[in-house]
Amino acid sequence: MERKDFINSSVGALAAASLPGLSKFNVAEGETLFVAPPALKTNDLIGITAPAGYITGAEIQSAIKKMESWGFQIKIGETIDKRDFTFGGSDEERAKDFQQMLDDPKIKAIMCARGGYGVVRIIDKLNWEKFKVKPKWIIGFSDATVFHSHLNRNLGIASIHSKMCNSFPDDWSIAEPIQIETIESIQKALSGAKMNYAATPNLQNKPGTAEGVLIGGNLKMLETLAGTKSDINTAGKILFVEDTGEYMYNVDRMFWNLKRTGKLSQLKGLIVGGFKIKVDEDADDFGKTLHDVVLEKIKAYRYPVCFDFPVGHQRNNYALKCGVRHRLNVSVDNVTLKEI
Amino acid sequence: MITIPPYLKKGDTIGLVCPAGFMPVERVSECIRVLNENWGFTTKVGTTIGRQYHYFSGTDEERIEDFQHMLDDDNVKAILCARGGYGLSRIVDRLDFSRFKENPKWIIGFSDVTVLHSHIYRNYYIATLHAPMANAFNEDGYKNEFVQSLRHALEGKKIKYQVPLHEFNRKGEGVGELVGGNLALLAHLAGTDSDLKTKGRILFLEDVGEYLYNIDRMMYQLKRSGKLDKLAGLVVGGFTDMKDTEKPFGQTAYEIIRDVVADYDYPVCFDFPVSHEERNYALKIGVGYKLKVGKNKVALEE
Repeated sequence: MERKDFINSSVGALAAASLPGLSKFNVAEGETLFVAPPALKTNDLIGITAPAGYITGAEIQSAIKKMESWGFQIKIGETIDKRDFTFGGSDEERAKDFQQMLDDPKIKAIMCARGGYGVVRIIDKLNWEKFKVKPKWIIGFSDATVFHSHLNRNLGIASIHSKMCNSFPDDWSIAEPIQIETIESIQKALSGAKMNYAATPNLQNKPGTAEGVLIGGNLKMLETLAGTKSDINTAGKILFVEDTGEYMYNVDRMFWNLKRTGKLSQLKGLIVGGFKIKVDEDADDFGKTLHDVVLEKIKAYRYPVCFDFPVGHQRNNYALKCGVRHRLNVSVDNVTLKEI
Repeated sequence: MITIPPYLKKGDTIGLVCPAGFMPVERVSECIRVLNENWGFTTKVGTTIGRQYHYFSGTDEERIEDFQHMLDDDNVKAILCARGGYGLSRIVDRLDFSRFKENPKWIIGFSDVTVLHSHIYRNYYIATLHAPMANAFNEDGYKNEFVQSLRHALEGKKIKYQVPLHEFNRKGEGVGELVGGNLALLAHLAGTDSDLKTKGRILFLEDVGEYLYNIDRMMYQLKRSGKLDKLAGLVVGGFTDMKDTEKPFGQTAYEIIRDVVADYDYPVCFDFPVSHEERNYALKIGVGYKLKVGKNKVALEE
């Protein structure tokens, strides 16, 4: 990464502040030192926990079997089968379960069983000291965007944005190939393979090539983290966003939040994943498409932009490594993202 | 000291605009009539009143032009946003407040207009008016004490609101500048140049039509961005038409808010009449207020 690529990250500040001869203030030009947790080996242990919405043991059986078939062992957290209204247990129970998984040296990866809502209620209760020393992969998306963003901002440790246990089909024989492929991509990511992806070209794409650390997640979550200590730092990075179930006006408002918080001005590239938009009532026809909403915010910038990237609340939701360097290539007839 | 725009005198002009969502003329006409005939002001009706561009009351450019014109016209002593909806986030950075800074005037509205309140307080430190908009005048609404409170505020009468008790209230007394508005908009403005500073201030919040889990999430956002720990007081308005998920969240909006601020000791009052319903008192944002939450009464006064 070029030194000038990186501006104002507290991660960089921490990393460089510990180096002799560098003052805290010089690190604005420092290097983002993201650490990738070790790849998983056969028989390594994956913990499954419910840090947000509740889920039953029955609902994670398919995921357990599949991950065991990959050669991993599974530890089922105490929050599985626990329920406190919409949550997988009280805040204390969810925090405790997650903390145990963070601190247990035998656990090499933590998979969030599902999203929903709730990580933001426990994130400040978690102690990252052991995790910092011995990082492990944290896996999930949607509400788990809080983890990706928090790690990006505060710890500089890579994590995996992917499907969770509730997306593993009960009956593989009727699963669509894309569903199987995207779930298999989790194994690929965990076992240390370099990732690469292709997206269907879209006429609205802005061509170009970019290299940078990949970061992002659910747009709504990124908005509700703004101003907090888990607020994402996007400067010099490739940002991906996705969302579901929002009205277009709200998608527009959230992109304004990104723009007005300075998160779009210093990107290397922008990846727009799936957006399931709620249909407007007749009188409320918003009159702008997703392309309009995105492109008007970034027309002053030259970085590449692609739409329809296979990430989101949808079947084609590939595992992406947040905090890891990638190269984005957008041309008229080709879109690729490669881990480098 | 915050700048307080001049209060209005008989015959002064109020400009009406729609800076966000579309509003048909017939929904604004009663407001115009009352401002002219009953309250003794004159009105200047902006080009965005009755105009429609899809959801909006005109394109961004048309809405900017109309609002800018009202900001820059020295004869206009107050700008009443006829309705909220959505749209100010799209244009706020393109409005030029330099003339307004020299010649402050009251900017009136709520809901989406929270963007203007927050932006002006943060960047220009000029008081604005969180108050009922045009629709509240309809169906004889202009006669109620809430719409009347807008008139009193514009005329410069010191406002003292005494409101009913609520079981969740936390007793105490706090003094500070009053800031706040719609929770979803305050959350949306976090981290931007229009973001609210709340330290030492009395914060008021209201919202409508949100999912309960989202109220919780937004309250956590305020908390985690340090906006709740050093308040002089908290005024919780209406949280109306709340929605719940299929699996119930398990708490009402007021329970959520009570729990999120349980660690602090400033006074808190619930069910204050500031809301998307009829109960919506005019509040001067940026002006110093005293909040008294007692055993027998709750009062908010300038």
